[in-house]
Amino acid sequence: MAKSNRINKWLISGPPLLYLIIFFAIPSLIMAFAAFRFPGDYGGLLPLIGPNPDTGANELLVTAENWRDYLTFENFGLFFTDSIYVELFAKSFWYAGITTLICLAMAYPLAWLIARSPKKYRDLMILLVILPFWSNFLIRVYAWMIILGPQGYFSMAINQVLGLIGIGPVQLMFSHVAVIIVLVYVHLPFMVLPLYANLEKHDMALLDAAQDLGASGWQRFWKITWPLSLPGVWAGAALVFIPALGMFAVPDLVGGTDGIMIGNLIKQQFLDSRDWPFGSVLSIMLTLAVLLLAGFAALIGRGGKRNAL
Amino acid sequence: MKKVLLALMLAAGTVHTAQAEDVLHLYNWNNYIAPETVKNFEKSCKCRVVQDYYGAMEEMLAKLAAGAKGYDVVIPTGFAIPPMIKQNLLQPLDKSKLANAKNVSPAFMNTQFDQGNKYSLPYSFSTTLVGYNDKKIKELGINPSSWAIIFDPAVLAKIKGKVTVLDDSREVFAAALMYNGYSANSTKPEEWKKAQETIIKAKPFWAAFNAQSYIKELTLGNIWVAHGYSSDMFQANIDAKAAKRNFGVAYGLQKEGNTLSLDSMVVLKTAPRPDLAAKFVNFMLDGKNASELTNMIGTGTPNAAAAPFVKPEMKQNSAVFPSAEQMKKLQQLTALEGKALRDLNRMWTQVKTAK
Repeated sequence: MAKSNRINKWLISGPPLLYLIIFFAIPSLIMAFAAFRFPGDYGGLLPLIGPNPDTGANELLVTAENWRDYLTFENFGLFFTDSIYVELFAKSFWYAGITTLICLAMAYPLAWLIARSPKKYRDLMILLVILPFWSNFLIRVYAWMIILGPQGYFSMAINQVLGLIGIGPVQLMFSHVAVIIVLVYVHLPFMVLPLYANLEKHDMALLDAAQDLGASGWQRFWKITWPLSLPGVWAGAALVFIPALGMFAVPDLVGGTDGIMIGNLIKQQFLDSRDWPFGSVLSIMLTLAVLLLAGFAALIGRGGKRNAL
Repeated sequence: MKKVLLALMLAAGTVHTAQAEDVLHLYNWNNYIAPETVKNFEKSCKCRVVQDYYGAMEEMLAKLAAGAKGYDVVIPTGFAIPPMIKQNLLQPLDKSKLANAKNVSPAFMNTQFDQGNKYSLPYSFSTTLVGYNDKKIKELGINPSSWAIIFDPAVLAKIKGKVTVLDDSREVFAAALMYNGYSANSTKPEEWKKAQETIIKAKPFWAAFNAQSYIKELTLGNIWVAHGYSSDMFQANIDAKAAKRNFGVAYGLQKEGNTLSLDSMVVLKTAPRPDLAAKFVNFMLDGKNASELTNMIGTGTPNAAAAPFVKPEMKQNSAVFPSAEQMKKLQQLTALEGKALRDLNRMWTQVKTAK
């Protein structure tokens, strides 16, 4: 019995595990290895296997004497020789962080409202939240380009209002503000859904009990609802922060001249500059930075739980 | 009745497969051949043309390097030809089947990218220049015939936030190098440094680095000046006219010089139908057919026999028909490799992150 149980376990977890090994673990290792190699002449990497000039047969070109021509730490050196890369990392974290906070501030009341609505409306409301996914991501960004453009009504209305209080016209399109607005728009549903899933399960009796014991509305939220919703907050924050951090299409389309994020730089290495090794270094650094942050968040989370106990 | 229908369907099916045996697969830039021209070729070869598109040379090279097969003819820009030759992707052209090759103007033959034109024959060219909202630029009294319009802070002060430049390190540096009086292909560190300073000084006045949507932004009137390709400016002007705007999109060469992108036809080694490929190359080298690229897509023609068929208004456009004098100032960009590519890449990132 125990044996068949174990087989069943493997049968169930095997396919996804295999998928992750083939399409995530192995590519990550290839990328880590690529970070130590030299770029090829036309993209890709300098080949390690090539035809022997004497015999013409393909063989390994790397030997104990010449491995320095094929493997190098130079790509990592490049990352630290100029502060611009670290600054760009900091800026991308800042963008992603602001996006996450705004999403949280907007999604929390919305998720709470949905969770407290009559049951028959909830599914419809959740459907409305995910409705934007029915159209393509790029089309939605292009729609924002029209809305934010100087000829768009949104932009014109804002400038009319600003004009009344004596502030000159502002340009919304091609700015940091535009990047944040679109990042928030794109990621908002990813914050609403986990928060809703969490808030919906809260036991209303707890709030009633708190009220009976004389807690004010604010105390009830801060002492009961908020701590209980933290798992949803963390899940939503991760779902927003990590994709926002790697985003390159949004800054490309609506960002200004200094709107680029780390994702744009990585794309530039792989496509325009044909420098796969340096692109790999940047990707590894990004992965490390995210892991570090996730570890840090987990530590804080654990600390918080201990306090609650 | 049902039987008739079935018979018809079968007949349609067989006709279709009969046609499907003669198919030319063309891998080309977006919007780089008029549908009319494709139809005419299909009529003349009694075959079908299936097109696939790319938006950048890197995309095309990456796809072919990854082993994509089934294409007959590809139309790469000059600097992408040497990598294709070195990677053994191309087959030599059989000139005996290409009678119209003689139509190509000698000025466009024997380029550095394919000496002797063993593998490639010119298709058409575009220039990288400044396109602008003719009404606004006239009102503001700005002279668009110098790169100063995108680099000189004194000029830019009048059009702040209404300028985009290409999101392409090579093209932007080439323009800045020419503005400073250097060669567009210079790789001298001190000249690059000077060009970078020019770019960083001008950057606060630009709205964005934009290679995707400047046609639309120009047409809408959101942007007044855009650094981009002549054929895109042609398209923007057509769009502005179609939308009945009260302005047009004008464009012209800069006095300091411009870059020229010459696109050529090549036949892949893996081409399933080299015979149709040769027919297509020869067809496009015919003067009248080549002229349709200029008349309908707005590109320059390297074809000497095309001139009689080109519309007079296109002939007057120096961006499409540069004079011999202007031709001397047009440079094709070379492919950068190794350290130079890495250096440019770093300088470009510095530009992008500069405050």
